[in-house]
Amino acid sequence: MTGPATALMLEIENLSKRFGSICAVDELSLEIREGEIFGLLGPNGAGKTTVVNMAVGLLRPDSGTVSLRGTGSPADPAVRAQIGVAPQALAIYGDLSGEENLRFFGTLQGLKGKGLAERVTWVLDFVGLSDRQKDRVKTYSGGMKRRLNLAVALVHDPALLLLDEPTVGVDPQSRNAIFQHIETLRNEGRTVVYTTHYIEEAQRLCDRVGIIDQGKLLAMDTVEGLIKAHGGTSVIYLDRGRGDERIETVEPMRELMKIHEGGNVRTFKVDAPDLECVFLNLTGRRLRDN
Amino acid sequence: MNKVLALAGKDLRILLRDRTGFFFSLMWPLIIAIFFGTIFGGGGDGGSAIAIVVVDEDSTQVSGDFIATLAASSELDVERATLDDAVDLVRRGKKTSFVVVKSGFGKASENPFWGDAPTVEVGTDPARRAEAAMVEGILMKYAAERMQNVFSNTDLQMKNVDEAKEAIRTSAGMDPATRERFEGFFGALDDFLAEQQQLQAADTGFAAGGGLGGFTPLKVEHAQVTRERRWPTNAYAISFPQGIAWGLIGVAAAFGISLVTERTRGTLVRLQTAPISRTTILAGKALACFICTVTISVVLVIVGRLLFGLRPTSVGMVAFAIVSSAIAFAGIMMLLSVLGKTEQAAGGIGWAVLIVMAMLGGGMIPLFILPPWLKTLSNVSPIKWSILAMEGAIWRQFSFQEMLVPCGILIGVGVLFFAIGVRAFDWVQQT
Repeated sequence: MTGPATALMLEIENLSKRFGSICAVDELSLEIREGEIFGLLGPNGAGKTTVVNMAVGLLRPDSGTVSLRGTGSPADPAVRAQIGVAPQALAIYGDLSGEENLRFFGTLQGLKGKGLAERVTWVLDFVGLSDRQKDRVKTYSGGMKRRLNLAVALVHDPALLLLDEPTVGVDPQSRNAIFQHIETLRNEGRTVVYTTHYIEEAQRLCDRVGIIDQGKLLAMDTVEGLIKAHGGTSVIYLDRGRGDERIETVEPMRELMKIHEGGNVRTFKVDAPDLECVFLNLTGRRLRDN
Repeated sequence: MNKVLALAGKDLRILLRDRTGFFFSLMWPLIIAIFFGTIFGGGGDGGSAIAIVVVDEDSTQVSGDFIATLAASSELDVERATLDDAVDLVRRGKKTSFVVVKSGFGKASENPFWGDAPTVEVGTDPARRAEAAMVEGILMKYAAERMQNVFSNTDLQMKNVDEAKEAIRTSAGMDPATRERFEGFFGALDDFLAEQQQLQAADTGFAAGGGLGGFTPLKVEHAQVTRERRWPTNAYAISFPQGIAWGLIGVAAAFGISLVTERTRGTLVRLQTAPISRTTILAGKALACFICTVTISVVLVIVGRLLFGLRPTSVGMVAFAIVSSAIAFAGIMMLLSVLGKTEQAAGGIGWAVLIVMAMLGGGMIPLFILPPWLKTLSNVSPIKWSILAMEGAIWRQFSFQEMLVPCGILIGVGVLFFAIGVRAFDWVQQT
């Protein structure tokens, strides 16, 4: 997290939700600060979407509380109006144009007249769909639909943006475009909760990351903090003419300098721990295997 | 309200852009109405011939010949009756007009040069002015033909001239100068007709055609008959209310599925996360269904009125019937929408329920020919009350009090089913 942003945007306390015999979320607590991008990283079925649905008031928790800016629960429509959601499933109408979708959802958010028109224009420009705004959404590419899905979440200028797996099924080019949009939002000081099962996305975008598995929050910190606390050692693979060597170290740079001073290094490779290692160390499973 | 309108507008826009949905919502009911109206007899007034009933008060050879001419015409479907029966037939809508051939018709026909013109009285429902004008035109046509025959019959014309000359000769009040002029005229006419007769006898082919115009061939008096529409004017009066019922069914089924579609495609989540209540969301859906059913009903009534001879009692009654039916089916749609968890389930359940409603309620077989036990059973079907309300406004000539029964039931059904649907709507489907 950069900067002094410490005011709380979203406070989740001891949240639990069961679906029959399945515990989807188990005593989960989070604090999201204003202006940060918070990543909720976990495999499919970990409970990320359930957390988002409870955070936006769509699901009633079995126990625990959700509070936005200390103003109350998102079950209250007035509180919910401060949240923008981009669901994992594309929640847009294929038979309407991009502009019609935005106007419709903007109206539901209470916008009208000139204010609505200005927001629609801005958000279309923001996601780069101005030139296709009159076309029906069913003619859009998958990436364009994802961008529109994001635009709908932004149309009413919400204080908190909940993005649930916003890059699922998107080609690399469109994924990169979405990353750029989110980075722009971060630079503007927008608060974003970003759920993903892609380690690279969490590492690239998020100021802080919560690791979630089987409904439990296993760890929460900055990416560096998580790796330092749970990532384990770096591994240096090298060849000094006497066969392959493997050296584990918590300070790979210092170790490399020492190896270099010894000379005769033919090849080397450093495997630094990442969030995958964090997840492996916390759960005993690899995230990618899920 | 702005948000409810936005929700309804979105659904209607999507429906209009879905060609299949649009076809089955609007065109299919129209096709049903026209198809069944046509195969069950089309215009009940005898196809293109206008059905009239004729009363012969003159009972002469001439009046009999005139009526026989009308009966032989292709434009008219003629039935003879007493005056009371004729008036009753028109009042009940079984005949378009009655025509009374007034006493003195035969005598007046034989004397085209003086006295009153042969007179008939035409009685018509004021709401059927167009057909009344056509009937009058047809009567004039055959009266003119009859007069043409009179003028081409030189024997009859010479008899008429002789009678005219005798009437002038014996006229007491006529001044001598006028009498002399008339006698000169009729003398010359008498000579002319004698020559015509000789030419006809010589078979020269010259004498065809009378050519003496300017006389009134027929005097038409008018009588108004206030009709009791306790019987449909034609088969379309039955099939169009049925067609409207099928439109209501189609729209209820389509919108019932659309709520499940919103859920399965993820857009319901977006609606639910907007700062609006569930009632607002469902009210928007119901309003779209309501607007759609009203539109379809209005279009069918207008098409039926303009092209298929529907003659609603009043615009107000039709509007009452349409709005009541639309409220009922918006409520039914809401209930159907919560019965299925998937589009397939919702569609299957919806059509199963609606088809049974249609079968019981007269959507397939007209209510008035159902056996008594089935008529009683049909009371459970909103389709029955919808068709009855439409028929009440179109041909049963219901009073407002009579309309209150079916329309009240429809509104009650709509409100009740909407409330149940809202309550039963699984706001968050537990998956």
